[in-house]
Amino acid sequence: MTLSAMPLTPDVLSQDGNSMVLSMGPQHPSTHGVLQIMLEIEGETVTKAEPEIGYLHTGIEKNCENLFWNQAQTNVERMDYLAPSNNAFCYVMAVEKLLGVTDEVPERARQIRVLFAELTRVASHCFWLGTHAIDLGALSGIFYCLDLRENILDLQEAAGGARMHPNYLRVGGVNGDLPAGFLEKLDALIEKYPVRMRDLRGLLQKNPILQDRTVDVGIVTPQEAVAWSLTGPSLRGSGIAYDVRKAFPYSGYETYEFDVPTREEGDSYARFLVRLDEMDEAMRIVRQVRKRLEKPGPTMTDNAKIAAPPKETIALSMEALIHHFKIMSEGFRVPPGDVYQATESPRGELAYYIVSDGGNRPYRIRTRPPSLYNLQSLKGMAPGNLIADLVVMIGSLDPVFGEVDR
Amino acid sequence: MPSTQTPPITGLAKDPTSLRPPIDDAQIERIEPAQLHARLVELKARGYSMLLDIGAVDYPERAPRFDVVYHLLQMPLKRASVAEVGTPKRLRLLCGLPAETAVLPTATDLWLNANWAEREIFDLFGISFDGHPDMRRIQMPNDWEGHPLRKDYPLRGPAREKSPRPSFALKSNVQAGTPPSGRTLEALQQQIARVRGQDTKS
Repeated sequence: MTLSAMPLTPDVLSQDGNSMVLSMGPQHPSTHGVLQIMLEIEGETVTKAEPEIGYLHTGIEKNCENLFWNQAQTNVERMDYLAPSNNAFCYVMAVEKLLGVTDEVPERARQIRVLFAELTRVASHCFWLGTHAIDLGALSGIFYCLDLRENILDLQEAAGGARMHPNYLRVGGVNGDLPAGFLEKLDALIEKYPVRMRDLRGLLQKNPILQDRTVDVGIVTPQEAVAWSLTGPSLRGSGIAYDVRKAFPYSGYETYEFDVPTREEGDSYARFLVRLDEMDEAMRIVRQVRKRLEKPGPTMTDNAKIAAPPKETIALSMEALIHHFKIMSEGFRVPPGDVYQATESPRGELAYYIVSDGGNRPYRIRTRPPSLYNLQSLKGMAPGNLIADLVVMIGSLDPVFGEVDR
Repeated sequence: MPSTQTPPITGLAKDPTSLRPPIDDAQIERIEPAQLHARLVELKARGYSMLLDIGAVDYPERAPRFDVVYHLLQMPLKRASVAEVGTPKRLRLLCGLPAETAVLPTATDLWLNANWAEREIFDLFGISFDGHPDMRRIQMPNDWEGHPLRKDYPLRGPAREKSPRPSFALKSNVQAGTPPSGRTLEALQQQIARVRGQDTKS
């Protein structure tokens, strides 16, 4: 590719003196996906950074407009592929609001949704921790992280049937109750987590090399964080304790005890610590859900207009057969209207703005992708820093490119 | 593209936002393009310091055709605890925009993050923003034609038809309809051989 064919902005091209333009990525190990950054550098110092995204654009929003409401959920899970259940969680709650069936979702289904949202938060942060440590030169941490994540993927597989994209949540509840032996596996994870986390904290948190690389790197003041629309751990690392679970509780989060970890420094190390503390808080919620899951109950609404009746009833009831056929062949219809539903994903405020025209397919699904806006702040953060520190900043923002590009 | 077995059931609502059920998700306002920028300045001064997102929706059978949707959030500009943040107010600003003059004033002078949000709307809907510092495509390749999220943009274009596909998905087979159940393996193999023969000739 010639330099003239590169998608440069006019600003980046206007160079003078000793500066040069460097294209970092889109195939670069430290960019956590397909991210290209056009850098204007003087020596090793970045004077301007312009991230170029779109290499992973798959048109998920367009595809969803041509699928049934339940099929679209499968695609939506592919956006943030490190935390699939969080996407599905937000989506099903938005559709339920449009349908007006939020109160019909059984209590146990809400608990299971919270359980998976928090488990995927831990899994996602595990992956971030491992890869971020690799960026900083600590190669051994990721094996401990992925081991912990693997236990959570096992739980996803047990409940939903697939490791990466379980597609377990449904509009109206969850797809079937937790399988036999699930709670024992969960207990084993709860028992293992503190030990593993103590090792990881010992290995990384007080590591002098890691601190040298991250302290005072990529400082974001609260004003800048709000101006760039940072959310999630990136915002809380700058001292603003905005957490959608606390500010706009959903699915029973107001009944769980948990804190919102914040730091005041606003640098990469602060964001690092916030995420570590968040993992502990997520496991604290998981332990509380575990206690509530002792009590059995229904996991799917009995409203046959939106949820197919159980397979066993088909042979016994004509109505069940008809409802089952209708749901499977043409889905359900959603009354016209628009809704904005926000949730706290591992990366920040994940929200769907959904419009329905009364048909059996979504009219429009607009995602509010936290990764996109978090990544955009790199433009303000990078100038004046070394290229090596740029790698740290990308890692500390934790972007997922399935979500940035959709 | 919807499956051939299930014809699409499209909704009848031409302007869904006017029919919305009472959902308490945000305060909603409608505004004309001419007043948009002044209103955004006023809202920012009133404490709506965070622009969460800008989205767009295409309603081809409605006038004005497009809706550009601003999601705003009241957020303190200093360090704040959970109690201090409390339950911040949300505001949704819907700006109807006719297709003939698909231009809006930019919000990049108010919020830094409006930059990519507006570029994405330009890329996928063809709505441009006056005064934007860097108005070019963001998701699609720079030389792409058309704006994919418009409703009149086909999900499958001519390029898609030419791409290689497995024989069972060839257009001739799909048009002939799905064979009745009880198809034998032999029949399937014959069909595959026939299609392969056709493909090698062409």
